[in-house]
Amino acid sequence: MTTKTSLLKVILLGDGGVGKSSIMNRYVTNKFDAHLFHTIGVEFLNKELEVDGHQVTLQIWDTAGQERFRSLRTPFYRGSDCCLLTFSVDDNQSFLNLGNWKKEFIYYADVKEPEKFPFVVLGNKVDVTERQVSSEEARQWCQENGNFPYYETSAKDATNVAVAFEEAVRRVLALDERTDHLIPTDTVNLHRKPRSAATCCS
Amino acid sequence: MAADSVLKVLFEHEGVFIHPSSDEDGTEQDLLISGSLRIVDKDAEVLVEYRPLEDTVDPSNMLCAGKDSSSVMEWDQCSREKSQQLLETQQSYETEWDMINAVSFKKKSCTNGEGSLNHSHERSRWAFSFSVSELRSVTVKEEGWTFLLLKLKESCSSLPALHFHQGGSTEFLDSLRRFALLSEAAGDDACLLVSSPNRALSQSFENLLDDNNFGLVNQKFRKDPYITTLGGFSKVTNYIFDAFRGTEEQHQRPPEEVADLLGEVIPGLEINQQEEPGFEVITRMDLGPRPEVRRGTALSTEDWSRHQDAEGRMMNVALLKQLIFKGGLCHAVRKEAWKFLLGYFPWDSTLEERKVLQRDKMYDLTSSWGQFISDEYFRMKLQWKSVSEQQERRNSRLRDYRSLIEKDVNRTDRTNRFYEGIDNPGLVLLHDILMTYCMYDFDLGYVQGMSDLLSPVLYVMENEVDAFWCFVSFMDQMHQNFEEQMQGMKTQLIQLSTLLRLLDLAFWNYLGKYNYSSVLV
Repeated sequence: MTTKTSLLKVILLGDGGVGKSSIMNRYVTNKFDAHLFHTIGVEFLNKELEVDGHQVTLQIWDTAGQERFRSLRTPFYRGSDCCLLTFSVDDNQSFLNLGNWKKEFIYYADVKEPEKFPFVVLGNKVDVTERQVSSEEARQWCQENGNFPYYETSAKDATNVAVAFEEAVRRVLALDERTDHLIPTDTVNLHRKPRSAATCCS
Repeated sequence: MAADSVLKVLFEHEGVFIHPSSDEDGTEQDLLISGSLRIVDKDAEVLVEYRPLEDTVDPSNMLCAGKDSSSVMEWDQCSREKSQQLLETQQSYETEWDMINAVSFKKKSCTNGEGSLNHSHERSRWAFSFSVSELRSVTVKEEGWTFLLLKLKESCSSLPALHFHQGGSTEFLDSLRRFALLSEAAGDDACLLVSSPNRALSQSFENLLDDNNFGLVNQKFRKDPYITTLGGFSKVTNYIFDAFRGTEEQHQRPPEEVADLLGEVIPGLEINQQEEPGFEVITRMDLGPRPEVRRGTALSTEDWSRHQDAEGRMMNVALLKQLIFKGGLCHAVRKEAWKFLLGYFPWDSTLEERKVLQRDKMYDLTSSWGQFISDEYFRMKLQWKSVSEQQERRNSRLRDYRSLIEKDVNRTDRTNRFYEGIDNPGLVLLHDILMTYCMYDFDLGYVQGMSDLLSPVLYVMENEVDAFWCFVSFMDQMHQNFEEQMQGMKTQLIQLSTLLRLLDLAFWNYLGKYNYSSVLV
């Protein structure tokens, strides 16, 4: 039996200060720092995991959330397998901006079929008591915008962080399987060795 | 006079190199021949042509810029005859930055007859041309970039390898496939055997080698944003020059002299002066062993006062700056020296004028300068302090600035004792200065990264007003990096790309190959 490891690129997007870097660090290193340095440009970390028997290397790309750094982060959108749209439940503006983040991603990642692309929405900082965004609002947004899975996370106390990433992986794998079954028959197999008929004729 | 031949360019790619030193008759070490590879349909025969450029320098190669898709290039087919114009679309290496700020230039024809310099004759021997039907095989190899070995059916001497330092090998092969069948040789994936429809050989390889009438494309930059980049690049030359010659003799030297001097100092350096007056374009450089740099001793308080005249004006500022650059400052001097270095204190201000500023911590000042600085700060601070909650609710920009500042102050240098812990007064100062800066420049407001610039300034100044004005002067220099269009950052990335291309072409190519040049430019 062959063990195949697939590399999946997952990108974290959302307003500045919603906790994207903290979510990534919690998931990869299981650490939390309340005063983590803000991100300039992009950073990434790898994490290996197994989901439903599939060996996966998750490459998590963390981005700078401030509007001004758009041109530093958008070149890295291409080739993403999944996008984690992140907001903070104690910051209504970050929730209102989810749509803009989705739009920016689809535009710069050059997604061919946006309606099929796997997005996962994370409402972070559920450990904070003063919420500005209710679960209902968030779920409704997810439902209306493409039926995205929604997770309420806390990078601080690790609530739902791993679960959310695993769901992201599942979404990507499910999509892969579907396309695997849908290979049109009139394509050319690029991996097949051409017959060596065309030898040098004199 | 030969009848006008019909020439149609089917494929063209510039920045294809020959490495003559690795060739059997190569005598010039480290020389790269840059040229243009084309597939042309000439009198119903498909030819592959390689033409070195007049100089190894091709301005379009300097940067992996997105080229203007409508650029018009003239190829001088027969000497001084009416040239055939062709529209050529070059593949853009980067697309992302295009969207934000299109930087492009047009290739312009310049077909004067004076271009026949001695070395251009020398270079023309690298030109070759053959019919596709003559081609036996193409071997594709990788060496950080792709290079192709072309073998002809009837030629015993092989053609020089073509190095695609700027990509394009796939496109070339794809174009070739339109006229010939390429199939992998048995047992050698890298070797593609060529079979093509039989066509009469109308021109021999040797014939074309003698053809000196083949016009050479001379390209010039149009006035465009890239001039800025090349300007910056030219400065690099000057910088390298200064580094070796010392800054004292910084008077203008004629470009040839600079080129000679640089050539002496840096072996393997090629400088082109013909391309564009006022610019020296470096095409290749071997840096040699890294010179040993020793850290000097930090400037002490005594050293600092020794550079002041009787009235307290700073003397020998250039030397002083150099000492600071090489050895840094003792912490005790920083509070004073940074005010000069950041541009808050003028270097030629007297001690008297600065004492006024020292006392300026208080409100009651007599000096108009100090009064202005202090009053101005607190006036602006009061502006945001007096905004009521209701007002702020209606002012989304101020609200956004405040929210960004609060988020960032909480994560700026929190391990430094000046900012650590909860409710550290250092954090309040950081916050207040940044908010006041928004009032000072509301259009720019607050952008991430500013807190990182302010933090050490405040730490050294230990004074809100001084720190603010030092920060203002500092931001005057850094402004471009924070602007909406991010022009400052883009310029720096373009310069980085240019340097990388010069110093590590293979790596630069690697980035281009995987589409990451867009990250650099």
